[in-house]
Amino acid sequence: MRDYIKIALSIVIVIVLYTSLGKVFPPLIYLFNFFSLIVIYFAIQKEEIWGACLGAACGLIQDSLSVGVFGVSGLAKTITGYLAGYLSKKIDVLSAFRSFVFILILVSIEFILWALLYSFVFSEKISVGKGTIFLQPLSTALIGSVTFSMLRATKKSQS
Amino acid sequence: MTLFLKEKKGPLILIALILFQFLLISIQLPSGSERNYFEKAIFSIFSPIQHGFISFFNSIGDLWKNYIDLRRVRSQNQKMKEEIFFLRQENILLQNVLQKLKREKEIQNSLSELQENILVAETIGLDLSNFLKSTIINKGSMHGIKKDMVVLDEKGNLVGRVIGPISLKEAKVQLITDNESGVGVFSKSKSVSGLLNGDGNGMCFFNYVLATNQDLLEGEEVITSGKDGIFPSGIRVGKIVSIVKDGTLFKKIKVEPYFDVRHLNRVAVIIREPTEIF
Repeated sequence: MRDYIKIALSIVIVIVLYTSLGKVFPPLIYLFNFFSLIVIYFAIQKEEIWGACLGAACGLIQDSLSVGVFGVSGLAKTITGYLAGYLSKKIDVLSAFRSFVFILILVSIEFILWALLYSFVFSEKISVGKGTIFLQPLSTALIGSVTFSMLRATKKSQS
Repeated sequence: MTLFLKEKKGPLILIALILFQFLLISIQLPSGSERNYFEKAIFSIFSPIQHGFISFFNSIGDLWKNYIDLRRVRSQNQKMKEEIFFLRQENILLQNVLQKLKREKEIQNSLSELQENILVAETIGLDLSNFLKSTIINKGSMHGIKKDMVVLDEKGNLVGRVIGPISLKEAKVQLITDNESGVGVFSKSKSVSGLLNGDGNGMCFFNYVLATNQDLLEGEEVITSGKDGIFPSGIRVGKIVSIVKDGTLFKKIKVEPYFDVRHLNRVAVIIREPTEIF
């Protein structure tokens, strides 16, 4: 039960974060993929099934708050969530640097999947926002690895 | 069999989720079809979070302002701002109406009608995939918002139209800069007509103007033509920034919209259905 509350709370925080970024400086929305961070974090904590289900849920929420075809982000995030859960069982991704590389790779895979699906559905290239969107995996990995390290440190000190 | 299902639970769930989402995508294609109930439900659950946050943020801001400002001066200023906002919207719409109607009585009737047909809304969230495609406003079906209603910015420039999903207190607006949007337009001085499509990067293209046409110039204003059956004619859209002949049948004309998504806080929704306008 506590996990569900944590997930719901994380989703609310992410929506609030996106709303704030949109009000402060809209191009910042391109820079961060906060929903993927929730998916990757809980997939590492739990297992690949959680990752896939949470990926689908977060992706569909993102799709419902965007214009376009409902399900494109959902599909990309489902695969990312599953991969995150599966790979984190095989390799150690707990140190800050490893988690940075891990998030960077996963968010890049998700971005490629999303771009391919988008191009396939709309038969056109994605909007790149003067190239800002290409920085998304890097900035997300950076903020993700710092956040994950902080969360782990907090957990450690509590236990 | 049970053992197999237990062992392969993960991949099976993944495949089921992928198939489910492929199904969701395929029922929406070709794009532009009606929003499904599942999407509407998710939108109705999560858009109030944005609405609540903005309302909370605004109320804190208002509290602070009330504390440091002289109350009376502020409320007067607010009233005047509201008036200016309405007058700007009315002015744009009236210019168009005045051109069409000649008899004085008809004009007076339209004046009172137009005042009742503008609904002020606030933008509460931008598109999470591309902020230049859509925005969410804090007015929904309970305020009379319906699909295809036209949205203008504070200065009366065209922003876009309401698309689905529409929840009780929130609605999604497709911006004219979205590459899926289309607006019937013409140039203000020479009346060259065409179709305006967004490029998804904050600019628009004035399409279907023949390469042989010599009437269009850079800097010229583009306004809605009303030929699309959604946007009433005479609304300011943007100005032409470049005209390129690329050897094809049509010119490549780039239009910079007047509205700025970065400063899109308050918008005006024309709460008349397109069928009532035309």
